Amino acid sequence: MKNRLRVLRAEREWSQQDLADRLDVSRQSVNAIETGKYDPSLPLAFKIADIFELAIEEIFLRDVVEQAAK
Amino acid sequence: MMATATQNKAKPGVWAGLFGANMAVIAVLFITGVIEPPTPYILFALNMVLMVPLVRAGKQLQVEKGGVTRAVSRYNRRFLGFSLAYSVAMMVCALLADRMGWATPVMWVLAIVPMVPAFGMIWAMTQYLREETDEYLRHRAVSAAMVGLGFVLVLGTGWGFLETFGLVPHIWAWWVFPAWAMGLGIGMALPERDAGGEA
Repeated sequence: MKNRLRVLRAEREWSQQDLADRLDVSRQSVNAIETGKYDPSLPLAFKIADIFELAIEEIFLRDVVEQAAK
Repeated sequence: MMATATQNKAKPGVWAGLFGANMAVIAVLFITGVIEPPTPYILFALNMVLMVPLVRAGKQLQVEKGGVTRAVSRYNRRFLGFSLAYSVAMMVCALLADRMGWATPVMWVLAIVPMVPAFGMIWAMTQYLREETDEYLRHRAVSAAMVGLGFVLVLGTGWGFLETFGLVPHIWAWWVFPAWAMGLGIGMALPERDAGGEA
């Protein structure tokens, strides 16, 4: 699943470690989520959304092919 | 990033490879009858000392990737402690067992003593999965454990058939743990191989 984490983080001038500290997870986790290697659980996705003060769907994007099929 | 690039990169794979190669050589020498008990047990135990640089290199790699949590630190400490305890227990018990008669009550004690730290290593892994609050790291550990399980199932089932048809000699069942641990290590290395990172 694609996401806008890197952009949102850059807008706030946060490093991966800054975001990891806010989420109380490892920097490796932030990197994995950001690069699309791991999709977070719903609770963690809500936590990310809360930190950026955005809705989940404004951060995590459904695949275009998946959307077109519906 | 520049400072990190100039430092020596952690290479737990090298230590794991050396550990695995030593285990394989000892196993082949034992199976072919070149060395006889208690020599193979002592060599296995001495090889466990390689867990020290292996765990340290693994920790360094975790630090480089930003994947160190309190649960990871606790796991490393516990696993290393049990590995060293196992190494000492295995050596001492193998040497003592060689001087005693089979099926004596003392032999039960000598068999159980190295079993305790071996179970301790399994307990350390269970505790890690319970204590790790980072869901991605927990997910990676569980995925790697599944790779380890697959590794053991393939090796065990394959060897079992070869043994049934008299093509290979019998081996004792305790090999499953080091084999699973090797599979776990392979599993931990697989998904993160191309992961980048940013300080």
